Amino acid sequence: MSDRALLIAHAVLGFAALFAATHHAAYAVLAAAGRPRRRALRRFMWIAPAAILAQAVLGLAIYPGYRIRVRAMDFDQTAPALVRLFEFKEHLAALAIALVIGASLAGGMDRGAGSRWPVAAVSCTGAAFLWAAALIGLYVTASHPL
Amino acid sequence: MTHTALAGIAAFALAYLLAGPLELPILVYDPAAKLLSVSRTVTGTSMRYFGDLLLASAAGLAAAAAAYRVRPRVPVAVAAAAALSVVAVDVLFYFSRLLEVR
Repeated sequence: MSDRALLIAHAVLGFAALFAATHHAAYAVLAAAGRPRRRALRRFMWIAPAAILAQAVLGLAIYPGYRIRVRAMDFDQTAPALVRLFEFKEHLAALAIALVIGASLAGGMDRGAGSRWPVAAVSCTGAAFLWAAALIGLYVTASHPL
Repeated sequence: MTHTALAGIAAFALAYLLAGPLELPILVYDPAAKLLSVSRTVTGTSMRYFGDLLLASAAGLAAAAAAYRVRPRVPVAVAAAAALSVVAVDVLFYFSRLLEVR
């Protein structure tokens, strides 16, 4: 499969991960606010981690292509700010993986009332990081696609 | 379960943050030479992202396993605040590096 096809698949799965994480965050906040959403939280316990891991694997698969054909051949000479911006996006995405998986598993398995707000806080942080990473990724890709 | 997840998140964020500045030996891939190696630093087109992720994931899983066995008595809210504080330090560190260019 070509790098461009992988990039498109990465984008599609990225949006799936983004919406799964956002849904989980919304359900976690509703549960914390006293409107339990146990079935939804149990459903997203596997949907959100599966989506974010799948898009991360595809992101890692196209990273070498970006490193050579986009960064080394273009951004390093013409747009060093975009290099830093892309690196910032990668760091946000890495942290989002841990946050989304942690919040999804905790939200689906922990029934303690005291855990609801902490899970909601972690889930919202993960979703916010994913949104930022997605928007930065789209901006960098619009500047120079693979 | 929430304690386990929070321990994993905190350890992941801490290991991910410290791997670079402490120059810990990690997996490094050079896409130009198609060469995989273990190194403390990167040169040329080499990438350390895979290695940083592997190291942080290993640390996170180890911390989560330890927390699952130990079952810490810290209130969940305190554990969540601690984990999110480590994550915030990561973001501030990388945001400061983003601003260095301008």
